[in-house]
Amino acid sequence: MRAEDCVLWGFAALFILIPLASFLVYGFFFVVDNSVVYRPTLANFAEILSNDSYRTTFFKTLRMALEVSAINLVLGYATAYFIWLRPPAWRNFLVIALAVPLLMSYIIKIYAMRGVLGTNGLLNSVLLALGIVDEPVSALLFNLTAVRITLSVVLLPFMVLPIYISLERIPNSVLNAAADLGAGELQTFARVILPLSLPGGIVGAMFTFVLASGDFLAPELVGGIEGFTYGRLIFSQFGLAFNWPLGAALSILLMIVALAVIYMARRLGNPRWQR
Amino acid sequence: MANHETGGLAPNQDLPLLRIRGLGVRFGTFNAINPLDLDVRDGEFLTILGPSGSGKTTLLRAIAGFQTPSEGGIEFDGRDIAEMPINRRPFNTVFQDYALFPHMTVRENVSFGLRVRGTGRKRLNDRVDSALGIVGLEELGARYPSQLSGGQQQRTALARAMICEPRMILLDEPLAALDAALRRQMQNFLKSVQRQSGITFLFVTHDQSEATTMSDRICVMRSGSIEQIGTPRDLYYRPKSKFVASFFGASNIIEPCEIIDVRNDVTSVRTPVGTFAVAGPAPEGGSGLALAVRPEAFGIGNGKPANQIELTVVSVSFIGSETITELKHRNTSLEFKMKARSDPAAIPPAPGSVLTVGFDPAECALVSGDTG
Repeated sequence: MRAEDCVLWGFAALFILIPLASFLVYGFFFVVDNSVVYRPTLANFAEILSNDSYRTTFFKTLRMALEVSAINLVLGYATAYFIWLRPPAWRNFLVIALAVPLLMSYIIKIYAMRGVLGTNGLLNSVLLALGIVDEPVSALLFNLTAVRITLSVVLLPFMVLPIYISLERIPNSVLNAAADLGAGELQTFARVILPLSLPGGIVGAMFTFVLASGDFLAPELVGGIEGFTYGRLIFSQFGLAFNWPLGAALSILLMIVALAVIYMARRLGNPRWQR
Repeated sequence: MANHETGGLAPNQDLPLLRIRGLGVRFGTFNAINPLDLDVRDGEFLTILGPSGSGKTTLLRAIAGFQTPSEGGIEFDGRDIAEMPINRRPFNTVFQDYALFPHMTVRENVSFGLRVRGTGRKRLNDRVDSALGIVGLEELGARYPSQLSGGQQQRTALARAMICEPRMILLDEPLAALDAALRRQMQNFLKSVQRQSGITFLFVTHDQSEATTMSDRICVMRSGSIEQIGTPRDLYYRPKSKFVASFFGASNIIEPCEIIDVRNDVTSVRTPVGTFAVAGPAPEGGSGLALAVRPEAFGIGNGKPANQIELTVVSVSFIGSETITELKHRNTSLEFKMKARSDPAAIPPAPGSVLTVGFDPAECALVSGDTG
């Protein structure tokens, strides 16, 4: 191994792997009378897998994350495609405008969404003004739908950027070739543009899924009782129940799912023709 | 289509396949192409040749439809196609970077033109097999473009452009990315495919030798205008301008030139290094005339050609089959190059010695100088 590699792996171990491992190892300990017993056990995992409410929350959360990914794949693709079709000067502006929210505080964005979704919020004002509803809808906040909407909005840049990048990578001559060979706009889109940009969509869906499934702030602030997700469950073990071993065990399960999704996305997002 | 065996020239030259009239392309205030006329005959291999920035690729892009012309008309087979969308134009393009679809196999790439037209499976497979056979890629149909060499990608692009049996194929510097040996091989290959298929090839290149070996006719472009159109022999032996003469091999340019007499199809000219006879009539509109003489037209003494100059030897380089002698004129700063078959018996002249060099009136050309 070269010296540079040693330094890189050293840094990775020191600042990422060791802290992570020292936290995850708690998942194999247990708590008696509010204090941690440092003796290895699989009891936490047995409890999680046998407990109905943990299981329900787990699958409800994965399903919600999947729905957010699906919604964002459609919205994100449309957004990226729209930006890609603009003249070059516009494109850069729009991409930067899209990336700016990534620099903003996550909490502020969620509070902003709370303002949008509330009874006196922007969304209700628009619905009222358009005459779609007669009185403000309270069903937009403090439920799982609010979590879906909020996460979709907040995570949209993670979907748009990889799709936009794969659209940008399509050489102009390839599009010219499709037209030259007789393909109309629709056929060029379906046979050339879409397949060439889908790997970006898969990467974006992976980002969205992993971030949405582990999130606890958005469900906490806009989810109400219905929006109790796996992320909040983990959070409650650390912040409320002071059961770190159970919290760590719950985290390990989520991490396994996340790693599996990342692995799948790597396979799908890197098709044979790209290798 | 028996006419293709006669070098690809169409019998009826009054009805060109592609007819361009007054076509111009402007980018802002820059004239990429000054309004020009060009006819492409059915079945010929026509090369648009020019240095970079001469407008040759822009002209090809305008014909293909990728570039909207600022003015002028394009007719194909008697039909106006200037406004026709790219995907309706009845010919196909081979791109400089091949522009293969990276997510499709060779077979899928080649069959693309048929698939978008909804061709049935049986017919499609037959046509793809035959196209892959023509370009010699039968074995590689399942490969992706990233798994092909440059030459194989080139062949795939050609098969893809041929699949819809267009009457004309546009080729935009398709050999530029290949190494020298492969390029020569592909030149012969392209030429033989063109001969056998009878498809009109409109080929763009900046490589003079490539144009000469492949083309039936060459259209030389410079600064957005057509400098000269003709067969490779025409351009080599009868260049109309200094630009064409020096573009086709290193010509010796003698200037300024003044016409003193025209008699019996022989023009006499006075130059700083002597008075010479030139076969053929004087060119019209001759502002700033020059005399262009090929290095291989020079000979030492033998046969007493009509034109003779006394020159001093600067250096002699033996390069195998040929010997190149650099010469200069005593009273002027003009330099000359002479190329002759190496003679094993001859003793090369020593530098500094004076030679009488002659050339035939038929082996030189009066050309117009730089008109700006």
